[in-house]
Amino acid sequence: MEALIRALSYKGIPLWRHVQVVQWTTQIVSGVLVVVLVVWFFANIGNAIQDREIPSGFGFLDREYQTPIGHSFLSYDSSDSFLYAFVVAFVNTLLVSVVGVILATALGIAVGVARISGNWLVSKIALAYIEFFRNVPLLVQLFFWFYIVVELPVWQDSYSVADLVFLNNRYLAIPFLSPSGLVGALVWVLVSVGGIGAAIFAYRRLIDREVRTGSAAYPILSGFAITFLVGALAWGVLSVATGDAPFSITVPNPQEPFGRVEGGFVLPGALITLMVGLVMYTAAFIAEIVRAGLQSVSRGQRESARALGLSGMTALRHVTFPQALRVIVPPLISQYLNLTKNSSLAGAIGYSDLTNVAKTMTQTAPAVSIFLMVMIAYLVLSLTYSLIGNLYNRHIRF
Amino acid sequence: MLRKKLYILVAALAAMAAILAACSGGLSEEDVEERAQELAAERTAGAMTEADIETRAQELAEEMMAESAMMPTGERLQAVKDRGKVICASRNDVPGYGFLDAGGNSVGFDIDLCRAIAAAVLGDPNAIEIRLISAAERGPTIQSGEVDMLVRTVTWTTTRDAQWGNYAQTMFYDGQGFMVRKDSGIESALELEGATVCVTQGTTTELNLQDFSNQYDLNITASTFEDTEAVKAAYEGGTCDAFTNDRSQLAAIGSGFDDPNAHVTLPETISEEPLGPVVPHGDDQWFDIVKTVMSILIYSEAYSITSDTVPTAKTGETAIDRLFGLEGSFGQESLGLSDTVAQDIIMAVGNYGEIYARNLGPDGINLPREGSRNALWAEAPCTDCPKGGQIYAAPPR
Repeated sequence: MEALIRALSYKGIPLWRHVQVVQWTTQIVSGVLVVVLVVWFFANIGNAIQDREIPSGFGFLDREYQTPIGHSFLSYDSSDSFLYAFVVAFVNTLLVSVVGVILATALGIAVGVARISGNWLVSKIALAYIEFFRNVPLLVQLFFWFYIVVELPVWQDSYSVADLVFLNNRYLAIPFLSPSGLVGALVWVLVSVGGIGAAIFAYRRLIDREVRTGSAAYPILSGFAITFLVGALAWGVLSVATGDAPFSITVPNPQEPFGRVEGGFVLPGALITLMVGLVMYTAAFIAEIVRAGLQSVSRGQRESARALGLSGMTALRHVTFPQALRVIVPPLISQYLNLTKNSSLAGAIGYSDLTNVAKTMTQTAPAVSIFLMVMIAYLVLSLTYSLIGNLYNRHIRF
Repeated sequence: MLRKKLYILVAALAAMAAILAACSGGLSEEDVEERAQELAAERTAGAMTEADIETRAQELAEEMMAESAMMPTGERLQAVKDRGKVICASRNDVPGYGFLDAGGNSVGFDIDLCRAIAAAVLGDPNAIEIRLISAAERGPTIQSGEVDMLVRTVTWTTTRDAQWGNYAQTMFYDGQGFMVRKDSGIESALELEGATVCVTQGTTTELNLQDFSNQYDLNITASTFEDTEAVKAAYEGGTCDAFTNDRSQLAAIGSGFDDPNAHVTLPETISEEPLGPVVPHGDDQWFDIVKTVMSILIYSEAYSITSDTVPTAKTGETAIDRLFGLEGSFGQESLGLSDTVAQDIIMAVGNYGEIYARNLGPDGINLPREGSRNALWAEAPCTDCPKGGQIYAAPPR
């Protein structure tokens, strides 16, 4: 009662100018509007789909796909289901994205560092690279690489290195490890991964000791030595134990009459084209991000590092770069997302990525459902990158 | 500042809401069911005569038609007239079907069919808008009804007829074949075991290829491309052993190769590909108009009337006079077309034979017609039919 009387006899700032009232009203009104619009929008889509009898639903997923997929990392047969074909295509995109991100980061950092190098020539070459690849549309670049790959010799006249590596306008075939027995191979891989873990642990400890004592402890050398020794030792033990080496090397062997390759590892031309295009394009952006990051570290830091007697590379690795990472990581994640999304241009140059396969699927299944799945797949991939990136970002923040 | 932004936001939201409201509407299924049940209840109560029931049912049907969200019968013709042009979804990358000439104009068999429709409903063959779409966009484009007609070398299949739109008339009989380099020495598609074959995406081509590969256990690898230029470059550069597409398109695309004579089309035809114009579902009148125009093109050729010999006064031959609106009728007025619609069409684009000759025949990509399935079924009147061809339409009368 008292509250009501107070509210009625309110004599302060008029309500329409009262900051809190205005802010709250704005929030509530716009919130309700947004919800109403979203609901309306989706209800409308649903109605339109029903009215126009546009097919939808997901009943097709366990039907046989019956259509070819150009290249796949998972084994695929035309009698597999739509769902499995979708997964096959998604794995193609996933691998393109992950490998592309790793290569683009490596190239981008190298070019970014070269860009601020004191060497005039190196710096200008990096500048030319960045400005060229950053300013030409990606699709145009992809077509450029596509036509270059098409101009390579036909498979009968492949460039070949000692009949071990073959490069032609269809594929790059290289010798590859193939497991002799499943158990032996699996054990060796696990032990080797363990070896790498041990190497990283040793590297950290040795770096610590270097910092504490000031005397060289050879962390990198030791790391590689441990990795190699563990791998070799496991190889030897397993070879004796199972009577066979865990892996044997298979050599690619093009067959008549159509040049299909047996053995080895085959990278189709379209995939190479796509990877080169994506990596060159994205690396140009990453290089600029790296440059900005490095330049954001105050000059004093570098000068102090030099004054302490650290060499140029050591100063970069232990002083400048760790501080630059704070600035580099957030925009770097955006570039990873861009690379992943840009990989959907693959269809233009004939690579069977998720989008390309999905477009083919719409011929025999409802387009609305398929593209809903495609959107979710890209979203999951991108959000995973964001999550990992943000966690890492939190880790390096100080 | 904040307030100003807010006003703009609210105004934008309101505008969006208005647009959305305009798009929705229609009688829901529940409504219809409810009304039908009411009707049945009244009937059992014995309060209505048979005539009453019929009237009520008629009312209900009309209401459903009027409130349906789809374009009801007759509306598209009016929309086209109001707009002043016919919108066709087609292509500009395959000689003979849809291509750009030296002057930058759209030309081709498919384009001429669109022009014939424009001549029929607007009296002007140039009142067209060609919307360029990729093969994969054909379904969604015609489903949404945003174009009046889809003429982009679309194969008529039962699934597409059910899902996409209505197929008006087969205007060209095609079939999928294979093209290989002559120096490969391949003479039959059955020799393609283990081969890599280039395909354009978003067509039945991929399905047919897989079926063929499975049937003969050929283990063919398909290289799927989005557009024709890239697939052409890939095949010509030798990244594929063969190129598969409809035979007519193989001829059309092959005519653009550096050395057209270095390639050969294999004898196997692995699919049925009847091509023709498609209209959106839901407007029967528009569907009938397109069918009638196609019939006019075909029967003009059957009657040997070309663009130069279109009669404007009675000839004495009843069938010809009827077709050209000089005597009687073949249903023009029920379709909302003028009596002399055939004169407009044939003067503007010529008959079927002329369109074929100009685009696909000797003056185009030179696909033989005589003796093929794309010859006329018969000269009319049918004295020595059939002549072997399959080009046939509903007789105009």
